[in-house]
Amino acid sequence: MFRNLSITLQIVMLVALYIFLYMPILYIVYVSMQTTAIWPFPPDFTGEHYVNLWHATDYHTGFRNSLIIGIGTGMISSVIATMAVIGILKYRVKGSKLIAGLFLSPLFIAHILIGISSLMFNKTLLGLPGNLFSAIIANATYATAFAFLVLLAQLARYDWRLDEAAMVFGATPRRTFREITLPLVWPAIFGAFIVSFLLAFNNLEISFYNLGATPTLPTLAWGSLRHGISQELYALAALINAAVFSFLGLLYILIRSGVIRMDFKD
Amino acid sequence: MSDTVLTLEHVSKNFGAITAADDINIEVGQTEFFALLGPSGSGKTTMLRMIAGLETPDTGRIVIGGTDVTRLPPYKRGIGMVFQDFLLFPHKTVAENITFPLKMQRSSDTEKAEHLQWVVNLVHLEGLEDRYPHQLSGGQKQRVALARGLVSRPSLLLLDEPLANLDRELRKEMEVEIRRFQLELGIPFVYVTHNQEEALTMSDRMAIMRDGKMEQVGEKFSLYHNPTSQFVASFLGSPNVFSGRVSAVDGEIATLDWHGHAIQARAHGGLKPGDAATCYVKSEKIAIETDAGEMSGEIRDVIFKGQYADFLVLLDNGEEVTVSSSHRGQLVKGAKTHIIWKPENADGFPAGE
Repeated sequence: MFRNLSITLQIVMLVALYIFLYMPILYIVYVSMQTTAIWPFPPDFTGEHYVNLWHATDYHTGFRNSLIIGIGTGMISSVIATMAVIGILKYRVKGSKLIAGLFLSPLFIAHILIGISSLMFNKTLLGLPGNLFSAIIANATYATAFAFLVLLAQLARYDWRLDEAAMVFGATPRRTFREITLPLVWPAIFGAFIVSFLLAFNNLEISFYNLGATPTLPTLAWGSLRHGISQELYALAALINAAVFSFLGLLYILIRSGVIRMDFKD
Repeated sequence: MSDTVLTLEHVSKNFGAITAADDINIEVGQTEFFALLGPSGSGKTTMLRMIAGLETPDTGRIVIGGTDVTRLPPYKRGIGMVFQDFLLFPHKTVAENITFPLKMQRSSDTEKAEHLQWVVNLVHLEGLEDRYPHQLSGGQKQRVALARGLVSRPSLLLLDEPLANLDRELRKEMEVEIRRFQLELGIPFVYVTHNQEEALTMSDRMAIMRDGKMEQVGEKFSLYHNPTSQFVASFLGSPNVFSGRVSAVDGEIATLDWHGHAIQARAHGGLKPGDAATCYVKSEKIAIETDAGEMSGEIRDVIFKGQYADFLVLLDNGEEVTVSSSHRGQLVKGAKTHIIWKPENADGFPAGE
């Protein structure tokens, strides 16, 4: 009897935990479909916010800009992080711990400081105006640190002797990377890209300082705080969540079906 | 050697304070099976990696087929290799794994197909071409690794403890097969192992390494029966060790005083009367008799192994000796017995070398 009780209790706690984690996310989806956000009970479903979102051009511009920043940062960060991690793990250079530490330390710097200092640096020393390009560069500083962390954890399990074997069988270093390393580690690199993409896509502080009036999704959301949150924002949040979750679901299916292999060994 | 394929001249390599190779000289001929045997950490794997080009020697020269390859990267050496843990490419099929060296050489598809056919038949992998490594058993993976090493018909095949991960039965089987491949192909195999049974079974010649130094190089029979290094004498076979003081030296034979017994052995390292000496006698080179012999004692235990048995003999002077011999009914626990060996079957070296 006590055994049954404790199992019931565990299930209750688990459900409570999931409610705690997912309720805010689900609530915003719910509100996005309601006529009013002040007290949306009893439910009164409507699709007007989605229609409004479709016609709101500033959100389109913001979405496009966020996408550009996300993809640009994701590519820069994942390429740099891949090179750094391979350098550290494959060639086991002296002082690799220090090198890794220096790659990781941007993790601990407040984003607002990165925003301000990269704006100053880009403008004063490089003469770069604040634009999408400089926002991508600035986001890449800390996103590279995250990408590095993701790749370091994943590639620590990779057996670099496979690369040696390929070289003995006649593959040049470049060919070895293309034939052996890349086909085996690309899911990890892709993971690093996704992480850095999402970080830059969602970033407010760094992008804000580097872009000023140019809108991104987070700066639009933040700006809308001043004139009361419009419900198109909820619709947008719901759509983005839907996109992220379907993407995760797709990844799960690909990994389960063996299209993407996360294990490097036979 | 007129048909030398591989030459190492004065090759040395240090990793920080560790000496992995200390002035190594080796020559391996066209049809030779050459084993590099030594305990772990003796530098034998580093030696193989230097031949493969995965490490660069600090000093010395490596010549393969008349070409100095000392500074050549691995992918320009054109040799085959079988790795410890197989190191098959997990994302490639058996056929793709095997033909990888040919793909790197940009061989034509017909050539690839022909070589694949040939090597698959050679190592008996028929029907497994489209499998992935994780769908293979340990023995099959081993065969794929061998096939990949042989497929381009290299001038030299290196093998790094290839049987270390197989169970005993399979190892025995593969030992015979690997030797058969080598004889069939007529190319030199350089085989690294810490397992003396493997080395003795397969090789023509072998080198025994310790602490980056070559202790002794030669035909396997000569190393086994006529060790000139104390380490080799203590390492090969399972020798009994006798420590005593030299009482007389007569030509090649020294007489030692060992706990009241006079025992005889070939003298190495300039033994002279009065020296402390250590003498090694392999257990199967000692005769055990019930009626007569030099030293008497009683059988304390019999470890029966089927083809032969190990007899633990407690001598009258209180020392214990292991003798391997065929099992006989009268040699039972507690039986009185005598042991004897020929002086040329024992090797004495200065003690504490």
